Amino acid sequence: MSPSCGGTVDISVSLVLIISFATKSDTGNYSCMTQPPDTISPTVSIQIAGLQGQVWYWMLLGKSAILLFSLASLAVKYKRGELRRLSAHGAVSRLQARRHFGVSRCLTAKAPPARKPRERVEIPGLERITYAERMHYVPGLAKPVFPDWERDYKDPRHYRSPPVHEMPLYKEKPCYVFNQRTSVLEGVRQALWLTKTKLISGLPPHLVSVAENPANQIPDQDERVQNAIKHARFWDTTEERPRKEKYSKTLLINLIHLCATLQSSHPAIGRRILAEKYSLAATWKRGEDLFQIRGQNGLLHNSMDPLPAVSGSQEVADTADHVLETFYPVSPTIDLQKVHVYKEEVNSTGFRGDYPYPHSHTLYFLEGADARCKLRPEQFRANMLMFTFGNALAHAHKLYGTQPQRVLDSPVTVQAVGTNGRIFQFLVFQLNTTDLSGDDGIKNQVWLDEDVELYDFAKVRPLIKKKQVR
Amino acid sequence: MMVTFPLLAENNQHQLRAHIKRQPRPQWEENRGVQRSRLDGGGSHPDLLCFSILIRHKGIDLMRHNGIGSSNTKEDVVMALSCLTRGLRSLTVSQPALLSSQVAAQCKLGAQVPTTVGQHRGFLTTAPLEQNKTFWKKREKYTIKPIGMKKTGGRDHTGKIRTHGIGGGHKQRYRWIDFQRLRYEPGKEDQPFEEKVVEVRYDPCRSADIALVAGGNRKRWIIATENMHAGDIIKTSGVIGRMAVLANEGDAYALGALPVGTLVNNLEILPRRGAEYIRAAGTSGVLLRKVNGTAIVQLPSKQQVQVLETCMVTVGRVSNVDHNKQIIGKAGRNRWFGVRPSSGLWQRKGGWAGRKIKPLPAMKSYVNLPSIAAK
Repeated sequence: MSPSCGGTVDISVSLVLIISFATKSDTGNYSCMTQPPDTISPTVSIQIAGLQGQVWYWMLLGKSAILLFSLASLAVKYKRGELRRLSAHGAVSRLQARRHFGVSRCLTAKAPPARKPRERVEIPGLERITYAERMHYVPGLAKPVFPDWERDYKDPRHYRSPPVHEMPLYKEKPCYVFNQRTSVLEGVRQALWLTKTKLISGLPPHLVSVAENPANQIPDQDERVQNAIKHARFWDTTEERPRKEKYSKTLLINLIHLCATLQSSHPAIGRRILAEKYSLAATWKRGEDLFQIRGQNGLLHNSMDPLPAVSGSQEVADTADHVLETFYPVSPTIDLQKVHVYKEEVNSTGFRGDYPYPHSHTLYFLEGADARCKLRPEQFRANMLMFTFGNALAHAHKLYGTQPQRVLDSPVTVQAVGTNGRIFQFLVFQLNTTDLSGDDGIKNQVWLDEDVELYDFAKVRPLIKKKQVR
Repeated sequence: MMVTFPLLAENNQHQLRAHIKRQPRPQWEENRGVQRSRLDGGGSHPDLLCFSILIRHKGIDLMRHNGIGSSNTKEDVVMALSCLTRGLRSLTVSQPALLSSQVAAQCKLGAQVPTTVGQHRGFLTTAPLEQNKTFWKKREKYTIKPIGMKKTGGRDHTGKIRTHGIGGGHKQRYRWIDFQRLRYEPGKEDQPFEEKVVEVRYDPCRSADIALVAGGNRKRWIIATENMHAGDIIKTSGVIGRMAVLANEGDAYALGALPVGTLVNNLEILPRRGAEYIRAAGTSGVLLRKVNGTAIVQLPSKQQVQVLETCMVTVGRVSNVDHNKQIIGKAGRNRWFGVRPSSGLWQRKGGWAGRKIKPLPAMKSYVNLPSIAAK
């Protein structure tokens, strides 16, 4: 039907119709005649404009303006199978406008709730006779069900992911994933069980002695640290006081910088580099379950040389007598994300193989880094422990392979510092074994120094000048 | 190119008519293919709306089952337009006076109707969005995270007040309580299990306190009993042994396993239905006796119920025991709770008021025992 210019339209009324199955190519002017010839031979002018997937027809007829809605667009979608999928997601179809079409009743009352469609019964062996061939409703025949329409080309803007069971990486056995937002119920005890670790409170004595050695301290240390705190807490903003996320990060960076000023006397500092937002992945088996740690935890100090082992081989062997603490009735996998779609054996330190600083030296954790998850101190320490372990494990897998090793020749040591801006937690983790399946045998070790306050308070007080405040 | 809109064939008309209820036609109605809807009320002119209804309701069917038998879009356009033209034609023919009276008399549409256009009945131009009052309740997956609630103010789905005296009050978030205490974890069916109480806290939605318990791989909220503290281990078991169990407070057992005379709460009257009775602060029921497969419990209102012995109960009194001793103190505190003042109108009290002394109602039985006569 090619468009033609219609006759004169002497009346200015528009009638809007929505008719399905029309496309934009139907735009144009149509004219119609009715039989028998009537007083009005209306001319129809049809324009088609797309409006959210609906096709609108404007028709000039008569004196009244009528707006007609129809289920046409919905029907088109139904025919395409989209509506069925929409209603499968209960919330989505409920939130769309449901038209109220019954006009034989009062229209001001609330529309009655949508009735559920009649249930389709499948009887095996019986063929359903539908009115699909007849192309129109025939009372007595069944309603045909057409297959869902699938796009025959790939459109990246309209991609529906397959259900979980059909994904290529789907596995029957679930995997428990620990990510940077996980908040485990039992805190450090659960992290210790998951990593098969023995906890020793307090930092190793030789580290403490290193810290107290005046040769390792910067000149004017107290004053410079206080300046760093004041900068982070007071001076780093144009507002009254900086927010917690901001000042904790500024303080950490300032303190790292202060430590780095010792480079002239400690050349090893020059062989380290900071890295941020690196993605860690490590896999291990614990009992019957598969565990993975994945995520971007925070700041990392990488170094060219590995850290020396903290405890000797005798202590390592002694850990075999230690019994891991269980917390019945809570299962150790509580709060971990259970996934069925995962890649097996992912082990990645976050850097490529030829990175010049392959060894993880220290991790820095900030409590306020992720606004979406607020971790309590216990959960924060557990998070620190898990990610330190993950770094060590990924490195051990890279060095020694993914087969579980009962005892590593040289244990992998990683340190971690966590802070909320005022309180610090220090952690030294030593990976002695990658054989984490059983509860017995050599355990890893962690030295944990909890809740060390750097300063008591840093309050912003209003300045009251004498003789100016009445 | 001129397009002719053919008249509706007779067979089409029948098909169309089949979907719309018949109306007695007034005598002066002369148009043939006109269908009317109920809104007409027997009105004279075929409402434009009726054609819209035609096309709206049966738009697709029209497309499908017109006598021509084609699914051509343009044919459908033709057909639909023909209906409309006919309707409009008769519309202009009708008497304006009749129209306006009918509009006045029969138009029930609300203020949404544009009344400026003269010669047609009003209609709804917008699609009313569904009331989203109860969407927050429609979540299917259990969660321990508090869910934001929408207050109803005592109004029901029509918008009118159904219960007076409710409205306002502090904002509350709903913590989804798991009333079915004997809910096994998927994979660990039919084994009595223990759970650890993580915390006991105030719930704004009820008078009792609630406890977050964790067991296995899941955490859930339950109604806390009187002496429950964080760190306690509570047991849930559906097994009924021959000997009665010495139950600790907070544990949940089947009624048949408990000794007679224990104080119980969170009673379910049908097995696995979920606790519906004895949940308020400080309440407790008493297990009175057990008789062949059923147990009789006395509720806090002294009413006795007979339930199957496999129904679960928890042992002890519900927490927050001093709830009834709380003094509100001022009207404002009641308003914080969402309690609106009652009507101040003095009304003469009738026979319903005053103290009544009457015997206890008969024992209610929720058990279908086979009758002796049915043998």
